[in-house]
Amino acid sequence: MRIQVRRTGGFAGIERRAEVDTAGRPDADEWHALAERAVAGGRGARPSGVPDGFSYEITVDGERVYAADPRLTAEQRTLISRVLKEGA
Amino acid sequence: MTTHGGSEPVFCTVVPPHVLDRLARNDDPALSGPARRTLLRDSELRARRRVTTEFRLAAAPAAKAPSDQPLRTIYDCAHGTDLPGAKVRSEGQDPGRDATVNRAYSGLGATFDLYLKAYQRHSIDGDGLPLDASVHYDEGYNNAFWNGEQMVFGDGDGEIFVDFTNSVDVIGHELTHGVTQYTANLTYYGQPGALNESMSDVFGSLIKQYSLGQTAAEADWLIGAGLLAPGVTGAALRSMKAPGTAYDDDVLGKDPQPSTMDDYVRTGRDNGGVHINSGIPNHAFYLFATALGGHAWEKAGQIWYDVLTGGELQEKAFFTDFAGLTVKAARERFGDGGDESQAVKKAWEQVGVRIL
Ligand SMILES: [Zn+2]
Repeated sequence: MRIQVRRTGGFAGIERRAEVDTAGRPDADEWHALAERAVAGGRGARPSGVPDGFSYEITVDGERVYAADPRLTAEQRTLISRVLKEGA
Repeated sequence: MTTHGGSEPVFCTVVPPHVLDRLARNDDPALSGPARRTLLRDSELRARRRVTTEFRLAAAPAAKAPSDQPLRTIYDCAHGTDLPGAKVRSEGQDPGRDATVNRAYSGLGATFDLYLKAYQRHSIDGDGLPLDASVHYDEGYNNAFWNGEQMVFGDGDGEIFVDFTNSVDVIGHELTHGVTQYTANLTYYGQPGALNESMSDVFGSLIKQYSLGQTAAEADWLIGAGLLAPGVTGAALRSMKAPGTAYDDDVLGKDPQPSTMDDYVRTGRDNGGVHINSGIPNHAFYLFATALGGHAWEKAGQIWYDVLTGGELQEKAFFTDFAGLTVKAARERFGDGGDESQAVKKAWEQVGVRIL
């Protein structure tokens, strides 16, 4: 499973993106479960954000959903921070 | 024109009212709740703006004049994401041990001061609205934002950014999003969004200049000086004096701001480049303020404030609409043919914004 996160906006307006490929990872099942729940809570179009809030694109095996601060689900928040931290 | 991500579809981030209406009727409270709150808040704001702009002169005297003192409350999220968090300092309380809380408290005070003393505005709604801010939001959170009701500040991750309360102009920037919301309510997308961002940078910088007593020539015209972690190559996040030069770093990349319309960036990201193209009106303000000299909040800031709050600036205004209104405001306040209206025209010309 390929999990991609792109974060745009924010006070600084600086974009960040990262990707995790779960193939061969010992914790792949955990990633899959987290990614599925994060996508389930996402929107099909970019939600209206708040001024300076981050907006996010989460793409899992080609399926893309959108989310924006501060209204993220707990799973989206966890997934986004893990991908941006651990991904390449 | 520069194009970023030209193959990307461009979405508008603003949910149209009919979609909100439908969401508000959804059985899932996770969808209907926020939509209902948004609709309610929007209609309240619209009514308030209509009353303040149309009935400005005829308005009945307020039951109670708003206070000349701010009403500040600082909350601590303790690295969680529930807002507002635990109350840690109320108006009038002495500073505590947390420097972040103290900086947020005094930054709110500095912002309240500029709006009251320079523009006779009582708080962000002009009617004494309490000022709430939450600090220590999330873990290593590299951002600060205005959620429609309050300010939220992250601590930064320590690698790229440090504490977002470090710069008083950032605090002023966030609060000014509140002022804009209660006045012109510029749509947070594309050119009106870049104007919205620019209003926050302009008044954020003026709050810093006012609190330091600086003239336009003395000011650094930087936004977010003191936010970059040691080791990051850069002075700040944005420069109104020289957009595009605030940072150039291996990790952060290079400051993408243009200073003139020739380099206007078309993109769907960042709400249509609101933090990018704000460089253009930011630079126009800088050119205008430095051409006039003296304290930038007195004349240049007054004209910008007149346009932001005057009721003629449309929610979907483009740069050219805003520029035209600044020339009109300069004439109304300082006379036709005066230095002010000539200087503001010239500033817009220098950044390539045509005045129709
Ligand atoms: Zn902003």
